[in-house]
Amino acid sequence: MAAPDGWPGVGAGQGGWLLFGLQPGYPGLSANAHRCVVATPFLMIRIENVTKTYKGGVVALRDVSLDIQKQEFVFLVGPTGSGKSTLIRLLIKEDKPDGGRIWVAGKDIGQLNSWKVPLLRRNIGCVFQDFKLLPNKTAYENVAFALEVIGRPSHVIKAQVPQVLDLVGLSKKHANLPHELSGGEQQRVSIARAFVNRPLILLADEPTGNLDPSTSVGIMRLLDRINRTGTTVVMATHDHNIVDTMRRRVVELDRGSLVRDQARGVYGAFT
Amino acid sequence: MAIKVDYVAKETFFNLKRNLSMASAALITVAVSLTLAGGALLVKRGVDRATIQWKGNVELSVFMKADAAPAESDAIDRQLKAMPEVKKFHYVSKPEAFTEFRTIFANEPDVRDAIGVDDIPPSYRVVPNEAEQTRLIGDRFANTAGVMRVSYAKDEVEALVSITKFLQIMLWTVAVVLLGAACLLILNTIRMAIFARRREVAVMKLVGASNWFIRVPFMLEGLVQGVIGAVAAFSMVWVLRNFFQSWIQSSNSDVQLFKQFLVTGTDVLGTGALLLAVGMVVGVVGSAVAVSRFLDV
Repeated sequence: MAAPDGWPGVGAGQGGWLLFGLQPGYPGLSANAHRCVVATPFLMIRIENVTKTYKGGVVALRDVSLDIQKQEFVFLVGPTGSGKSTLIRLLIKEDKPDGGRIWVAGKDIGQLNSWKVPLLRRNIGCVFQDFKLLPNKTAYENVAFALEVIGRPSHVIKAQVPQVLDLVGLSKKHANLPHELSGGEQQRVSIARAFVNRPLILLADEPTGNLDPSTSVGIMRLLDRINRTGTTVVMATHDHNIVDTMRRRVVELDRGSLVRDQARGVYGAFT
Repeated sequence: MAIKVDYVAKETFFNLKRNLSMASAALITVAVSLTLAGGALLVKRGVDRATIQWKGNVELSVFMKADAAPAESDAIDRQLKAMPEVKKFHYVSKPEAFTEFRTIFANEPDVRDAIGVDDIPPSYRVVPNEAEQTRLIGDRFANTAGVMRVSYAKDEVEALVSITKFLQIMLWTVAVVLLGAACLLILNTIRMAIFARRREVAVMKLVGASNWFIRVPFMLEGLVQGVIGAVAAFSMVWVLRNFFQSWIQSSNSDVQLFKQFLVTGTDVLGTGALLLAVGMVVGVVGSAVAVSRFLDV
């Protein structure tokens, strides 16, 4: 996998990149962490006592703490309004927490200058229920757009876009506009766009919410495959079947509070 | 991170094309307001040029004959010094007067080159203590030996100055109001462009396009509108000035007042540069406000 770039101090390849640019006091590391660079599972995301209240006193997140390691696959589950989407918004700094701190890849994102926020986002791919594709661009152009606007040279774009379209299984439909594609295919384009820059983290907010069960399985296979390339995947979902089949880590939120964090969990753990 | 020039140019062009009617409204307003501003500036240049000999409260000029003897000049000099009504005066020698003449007739090479430095009358420029004493002073020299003519600021320029002053104030007022309107129109055009491209902007933010990468095409769109408006205004000013100039030269008595009212090509070019600068500022300010208010990056 290509070394992620655009992130200050990151770029040393698979094992050691996280240690570059670490801030003093980063909670995930002991003082002699540099001695066990390769063996230590790195904290990709640390959420510490995060609280978020919206206008009108609606509490979206209440004192949530959560650690996610590199290469983990985590399901965020919980009913509508439990704070899953808020958590994802906070991770890409689209919103600020009222209390608590969030580290992503060793950076306290609360202390990030506003001009550095784009650099954070280049390391986080996002996938949504409604795909957010540009209707007047073809599948290829939608994916290429993500590289174009972060200033990648055209030879890189020409090399990487077909590769990632092939990965999501859409190389034959690269010239189709979104409305000429099925829902599942559109979501694949959107995943390709999120992944084309080889992010450290892939955030998926109900990616199968608009899709039928068999199509959803295909999308989950794809996310699993992306996870296996070393990308940390965090997926918010309502889908019992998917969570129960995958048997990955499950984090459950209920009215803003973290009520369960279970390795190899299922959707409704206590029933 | 370098912003790709072809990308920005493409985006700006398509934005303008998509929003052609709004963009044209903004552009035309910029052009009209800057035409008026340019007109006001050129009127001022023309007046300055035409009234060059009346600078510094000079109320009357005593023109000597071009071939006046030095003794005759000295007599005038002595008399002026002795007069209590004269606050101050200065002598404009032949070479100085010649330079002044060439400034006034800069646009008419035929006249300018036909006359040499020896044909030009030297003169005394007189500032009286009180404006009412002007005639009193002038009358004493009207028939003195060596004096060709006494001319008064009142007759020569007062009408010109008062008419053009009113014209300038009017032009400036309308120009400033229209510039404000142009700024708002550009702001609105950019706001609509941002709205039309909200999906692209959302995706750009999501995948980590830098803030300036998102802003620059919109800012540039405003700049382009300002610049095109200014260029149109400059062409208008140029055409109007040529038209006005030839009208003055071809007609007679009724515009006698404006005979010396000349604006050179250099004046027009200087004004053009200024208009361009103002157009750019208006475009950038309008789009910057729109971008900071409506583009939440």
